[in-house]
Amino acid sequence: MDVSQYLEIFLDETNEHLQNLNTQILELEQDPENSDTVNEIFRAAHSLKGMAGTMGYKRMQNLTHDMENVFFFFFNGNIKVQPEMIDVLFQCLDALQEYTDNIKNTADEGTNDNEPLIRQLNDILNNKGATSEAAAPAQAAPAAEKAEESSSDEPWYDINYDESQISVLSEAAKQGRKVYGINVTVDPSCVLKAARAFLVVKAIEEKGELIVSNPNSQDLEDEKFENDFTLIVISEESLENLIAAAKSVSEISDAVGKELDVTKLHSAEAEGEAEEAPAAQTTAPAASEAPKAAPAAAPAQGAAPAKAADKKPGKVAVKQTVRVDIEKLDSLMNLVSELITAKNSLVSASSSSEGNNSSFNEQIEYLESVTSNLHESVMKVRMVPIESTVNKFPRMIRDLQKQLGKKLDFYMSGEETELDRTVVDQIGDPIMHLLRNSADHGIESAEIRAQRGKPEAGSIWLDAYQDGNNVIIEVRDDGNGIDIEAVRAKGIERGVITPEQAAAMSDKEVINLLFTAGFSTAKKVTDVSGRGVGLDVVKSMIESLSGEVEVKSELGVGSTWTIRLPLTLAIIQALMVVVGGEKYAISLGSIQTIETIEKSDIKLVQNEEVINLRGTVIPLIRLNEVIGTESHPIDENSLIAVIVKKGDKMAGLVIDELIGQQEIVIKPLGKYVKHVKFITGATILGDGEVALIFDANTLL
Amino acid sequence: MDQLSTNNNLNLPEDGDETKIVDVTFQYIVIRLGEEQYGIDISYVNNIVRMQRITRIPKVAPYLKGVINLRGEILPVVSLRLKMGLDEDVFDKATRIIILKTENEGQIGIIVDEVKEVVTLSEKSIEKVSHDNKGEKANFLSGVGKNNGELISILDLNMISLEDN
Repeated sequence: MDVSQYLEIFLDETNEHLQNLNTQILELEQDPENSDTVNEIFRAAHSLKGMAGTMGYKRMQNLTHDMENVFFFFFNGNIKVQPEMIDVLFQCLDALQEYTDNIKNTADEGTNDNEPLIRQLNDILNNKGATSEAAAPAQAAPAAEKAEESSSDEPWYDINYDESQISVLSEAAKQGRKVYGINVTVDPSCVLKAARAFLVVKAIEEKGELIVSNPNSQDLEDEKFENDFTLIVISEESLENLIAAAKSVSEISDAVGKELDVTKLHSAEAEGEAEEAPAAQTTAPAASEAPKAAPAAAPAQGAAPAKAADKKPGKVAVKQTVRVDIEKLDSLMNLVSELITAKNSLVSASSSSEGNNSSFNEQIEYLESVTSNLHESVMKVRMVPIESTVNKFPRMIRDLQKQLGKKLDFYMSGEETELDRTVVDQIGDPIMHLLRNSADHGIESAEIRAQRGKPEAGSIWLDAYQDGNNVIIEVRDDGNGIDIEAVRAKGIERGVITPEQAAAMSDKEVINLLFTAGFSTAKKVTDVSGRGVGLDVVKSMIESLSGEVEVKSELGVGSTWTIRLPLTLAIIQALMVVVGGEKYAISLGSIQTIETIEKSDIKLVQNEEVINLRGTVIPLIRLNEVIGTESHPIDENSLIAVIVKKGDKMAGLVIDELIGQQEIVIKPLGKYVKHVKFITGATILGDGEVALIFDANTLL
Repeated sequence: MDQLSTNNNLNLPEDGDETKIVDVTFQYIVIRLGEEQYGIDISYVNNIVRMQRITRIPKVAPYLKGVINLRGEILPVVSLRLKMGLDEDVFDKATRIIILKTENEGQIGIIVDEVKEVVTLSEKSIEKVSHDNKGEKANFLSGVGKNNGELISILDLNMISLEDN
């Protein structure tokens, strides 16, 4: 079987399962008695094993198989979860991750059999003294259920049909067409039952009209069935042909069928009344509920109901998704950009042409709202929650605890915060650096914490939230904080700064030294961090994503690292302004208000112009000085200031004239123009003219 | 201007006889800066457009005149005159922007006073200039070619590359 085309899906799903296992095993460590968690783990391990087996990765399959055995004993309560078992399981997950990475890089799982791990797993089982029997009951039990379940000889009469299905079937019967019931049994060893079922359904549909399937097609697709399923078909073909078609699919162990007597089919409501008359009366008004509940009750023979009830609690509602190549989204995004540029040209043409009529303007407004919505939708398609990236951190912190011998509590919030897919993929490493940094350098040893009257376990927080057009990710700890004097001394020692410079530097400037290359204040180099590559890498990685990183710290109390990332990268709402006769754009996201300021209200503080805006003192930045032109204000006695904000810093950008708000497409200036710090790019205006975009953040 | 972008003709000998002298020809676009004529290797030229509105970029070297919009793409424009230490450009009807493709810095436009013609020069007729001490202007040249008795200075396009702007 050629499986290469499934490789990508396999990798994606394997990673999801591994992530899920990591999370669940962490939970299990906290709450060993939780049967839902064990259930979930068991299920994930089982899927993983099945997938690895189908793809032909035997080593991976063996390892997951042995893990599954252990989980089975957790599951039935024969083994109590012990901390050292959790360690072994995590090592197994790491080994599985290694297989997965190998497969990703070379399409081969590699040659590591991980025998020591398998031995450890077997030891867990042996200590229980029941290894060989372990597999037996595990398989015997489901087998028994299966046997019972297929006990009914004519399953097609057990289905609860709804009214419309009955009417279709009886109509067909009246017209003399044949209605068949076919029961298909899938080989119990089959791994991809859903795929087999799908092939059977397809084969049957070629021969006739499929009216009903039990379980329904969605459940078949989701593999929510045991080993058999029933199809009701209207067909011109003979029953033998249909059965042969079903049997032609591999791994189908049996298919039986019969021409049905339509009058013997019963509807769900009839069933309800027949079997539980008293109950049916009370639920009669809620008839619409009945068909849903009934199918579950109908095949309710033997162990089936218990099984169904078991499955429910762990079931998470999964949204339907489509995996799309990111390049396709990029090209879609480019087209949207073009559309917006074209729309802007229309807007500017309409405002300049004389005698424009109102219907033309209406159409343009309509176009404007359509393009905005389209843009928003395309942006949203690219947005994914940061969850997939941050979910690995609880596990990492747990490992760090053991490595560092510190007790750590880790709290996360805002995992659902969404960011552009490309950003989410790349933000993991910088966050990991910061977390390791907090765990290693930030949190003090237990003795020092005790002296300082802090709780023994250090706390690390990872919070993500949206703030205007930015997403903020904060890494916070209640550790030692940054020792500014130590940094200063280190800077001199490393020759990064001279003693004179050091004395003149503000605390903030000193802290910024941490982000320079090759700077590490750790007194001893540990495995975790302190190799001097870290913070400078963090900074450059974040800057490559058009983001920023800041740190606030109080000695002895803790530090907060703040990563600020732009929500969107390509199309923004901007305020168009004129400075010195030139047009510029300022991103609306950073703008607070626009103020008209009387010249007499400008005060000088330390030779800097400031204004007092409703009680806040805000410095003024004359944009014409920044860009080196003359200012041509409209009114000699007053100034127009655009108040911008970054974090808790604010400033008033003085401009000559306001043009208005516009949606703009950010285009890069090219590699040739690289040293203009306060310009983030350019945009093409409706009339084809190019306007540069101010980066308010760098001006603050 | 697509008809200009023909490839250089390599007149290779018919058989593999290596003792024969291989005559290689290059095509050049001849441009005028002030009174002088210069050749630009046509294989670097993507397009030639009329002078258009240039958006100034603040705080960069004076020869980097700004950026233009070429069919939705934003390209930097360099003044060849300022780069070579000549007087500031005076834009008139003949002024053109030649769009060059560079390996490392994408497309760059250069402003010239006039585009005159396309000439074909054989490699033999081009004399290399050495870059040592011939004065400032010589540093912008890769050679001097002869065409029908006229001398054409061949521009060394590496000089357009960014120093620090």
